[in-house]
Amino acid sequence: MSLLAQLKILVVDDTTTSRLLLRDALENLGFRNIQVAANGEEAMKIMLSTPSHLIISDYNMPKMDGLQLLKAIREYKPLSRTPFIILTGNADRKVLEDGAKLGLNNYLTKPFTPENLRRSLEAIVWRLH
Amino acid sequence: MIPSTRPNRIHIIQGDCYVTDEPDTVLTTVLGSCVAACMRDPVLGIGGMNHFLLPGDGERSRPGEAERFGVYLMELLVNGLLKRGASRHSLEAKLFGGARTVQGFADIGAKNVEFARRFLENESIRYVGGSCGGDQGRRIEFQPSTGRARQFLLPRSTVEPAQPVVRRPAPVDLGDVELF
Repeated sequence: MSLLAQLKILVVDDTTTSRLLLRDALENLGFRNIQVAANGEEAMKIMLSTPSHLIISDYNMPKMDGLQLLKAIREYKPLSRTPFIILTGNADRKVLEDGAKLGLNNYLTKPFTPENLRRSLEAIVWRLH
Repeated sequence: MIPSTRPNRIHIIQGDCYVTDEPDTVLTTVLGSCVAACMRDPVLGIGGMNHFLLPGDGERSRPGEAERFGVYLMELLVNGLLKRGASRHSLEAKLFGGARTVQGFADIGAKNVEFARRFLENESIRYVGGSCGGDQGRRIEFQPSTGRARQFLLPRSTVEPAQPVVRRPAPVDLGDVELF
């Protein structure tokens, strides 16, 4: 089984269609173990019960946005080192700066291309290897 | 001072999205095979419009590649409304466009409409009307505060024109008008 097929990845996005597209794109890259959550709260519950090796999360979500989820992950010691990629609509400088302070590993702008997705994951996946 | 009753008209070009809570604003666009989603929260009386054309070359494009661009513009619209206090459960939408304006080519208009309808279904956003398909372009006017949409069909020979970012004055000749 390939490395990517062994990694468990959590996709967090409040837009169902976006979740489906991201899931398809990840499967095309070789990921086979993909969990999905519709918001930050749901993502946290999943991470506490069945933790993923890495997280890709939308920034703009109701209740708990992507940065709030990142903060919660970083503050909970057993999960604090989980690689985290944020999806933003326009690579907002403030979001990325705040994310960097919280330990964001990478970002991806929407609409993403499969190549951009692959690049944003590459360095992280090799570090997990 | 007597307040002006003339509506503020904003023209939406391809790839654009605009959300407003101004009661007098009317959003307009011109569509051929492109699709415009007119979305609003009827409780708050706020709404917006986007205008998209999925890229790709018809049957040969990989599933998902083209849709990402459409999803992005639909998300801008939904998130723009949610930021202004709209409730996701209240959202309703009308769809316009998706005509087959150039015969003999792949029916990309139909693919755009199919995508937009599927998006609304996936996101549980109520589809409350509109006008899609056919072989004529359309000029659309949408007033988010009331939800009223008007469609003006364009002559069959009119291929979707280049659209400058300008606020257009009200037309003199209303032509073939339908209300939605």
